[in-house]
Amino acid sequence: MIFAYLDPGTGSLILQAVVGGLAGIGVAWKAWRSKLGRGAKPVPGDDHSEGETVEDTSLPAEP
Amino acid sequence: MISPDPGSFRDPASHVLLDEDKAIRLLDERGLEGWRALSATGFFRSAVSEGRLIDAVEMAEAPPGSAAALEHPRLPFISYPYEWTFSMLKDAAILQLDLLEGALSAGLTIKDATPYNIQFVDGRPQFIDIGSFEAYRPGEPWIGYRQFTRQFLFPLLLRAWVGVPFQPWLRGDLEGLTSRQMARLLPLRKRLNPSALLHVRLQARMEERMADRAVRQELGAAGFSADLILTNVRKLRSLVESLEWEHGSDGWSSYVECSHVTRDRAAKGEFLTEAMRRLAPSRVLDLGANDGHFSHLAAGAGALAVAVDGDEAVLDDLYRNSTGSALAIVVTDLANPSPAQGWGGVERASLLDRARPDLIIAYGLIHHLIYAASIPPSHVVRWLAGFGCPVILEFVSPADEMVTRLVGNKLPHELHGDREEDEFRALLVPWFEITSEQALTSGTRVLFALKPRPA
Repeated sequence: MIFAYLDPGTGSLILQAVVGGLAGIGVAWKAWRSKLGRGAKPVPGDDHSEGETVEDTSLPAEP
Repeated sequence: MISPDPGSFRDPASHVLLDEDKAIRLLDERGLEGWRALSATGFFRSAVSEGRLIDAVEMAEAPPGSAAALEHPRLPFISYPYEWTFSMLKDAAILQLDLLEGALSAGLTIKDATPYNIQFVDGRPQFIDIGSFEAYRPGEPWIGYRQFTRQFLFPLLLRAWVGVPFQPWLRGDLEGLTSRQMARLLPLRKRLNPSALLHVRLQARMEERMADRAVRQELGAAGFSADLILTNVRKLRSLVESLEWEHGSDGWSSYVECSHVTRDRAAKGEFLTEAMRRLAPSRVLDLGANDGHFSHLAAGAGALAVAVDGDEAVLDDLYRNSTGSALAIVVTDLANPSPAQGWGGVERASLLDRARPDLIIAYGLIHHLIYAASIPPSHVVRWLAGFGCPVILEFVSPADEMVTRLVGNKLPHELHGDREEDEFRALLVPWFEITSEQALTSGTRVLFALKPRPA
């Protein structure tokens, strides 16, 4: 399990890969893509998506 | 008596207790794991022997409720980043980055990046939070990057690029400046600077757009490595190295050139030396320390001198010229000294609580409080008496050339009473016994050695 008592900030985490140059930009892009790809992306204009978070898919569905 | 350090609670893996002459760090299982990883490295030993890292010895028995305990030497004086000068914060930032680079090379990382983990010992920065080190897990990003920018980099940029002192901001917001705030403060000529684009503007944008989504796991899976942290650390180091604060001889930096200063300096030095001999204080608080001449004298006589002044420029010069001296430096306005603040109002102690002097030097001070800050003379005397220790004080009469300059546009009836020498002596009587005194050649100034009366 990964632990931090400090909130590292998502944008700041991705940015530090970007600072690492071309290779880092690739890592940042891949990580962000996989983040977006994992969750149910809210569909613009879809009222039902409002208030849902992309992390919810890992939770068991309610009976 | 052992008591918990009120500023040590954020990291659940490690807590500090303070004893008279030592600090004890209690570790939980996780903290112990970090300590085992750190203490096994050559990096740890060399950083300690170079004075860059505080010494730590594992105690034979862990107190109940902890997995292990470390003993550290107790630091003689704690100061906070909002009391440091530009060069002090810059040196602390470089130490933070160098230690992270050294740690990564030894298979470790530092889990946070706050200047509160650094203290100045004999004029040099020392990292004091052993609990911040832990084994580096492959694929992990640098968790402290954002904190580094908020509490080290942006305050330095504020001074070096914007020309604004960082101390009021750091004192007002203990977390430092956000990237968004820094982006708004960037001067036009720096907006396209590559470092500003990356660490300030791009960070601000990404923070805004990517909030509320965790990516630590994804970064590891995408191939993040310690090399990327090292690249970032090296770039940040050269950026910090390049930052300069050009301060001219404005304000009190030119104070020593004033005629009355050179005229009376030798006599004031002898008066202090005599008091040092008589009282043998271990800690001297030099209020209105200016260029630190008398702080150096006190330190040379065997005391730890705490040099306090509101002028960052003179103290910055003092810092750069006093490596190796038993001298602590504090930038604060004595009419508004650092308060107790932070969580519960106690996380960061007030300057006056941390000071605990055995002797106070109040040379060239009271006229600034009385005439510039409009503090009534009776309040100044009561405030000095509150420290409960001897004071050597320079009385400055209303006829003094400096007072004439300070009063400026104020009319006599706009000033507080009790400014004349006989009136001031009467104010001293209830609080202090005058053990010796000496009129200075200027004719408008008198030195008093004051002994507090028993309460």
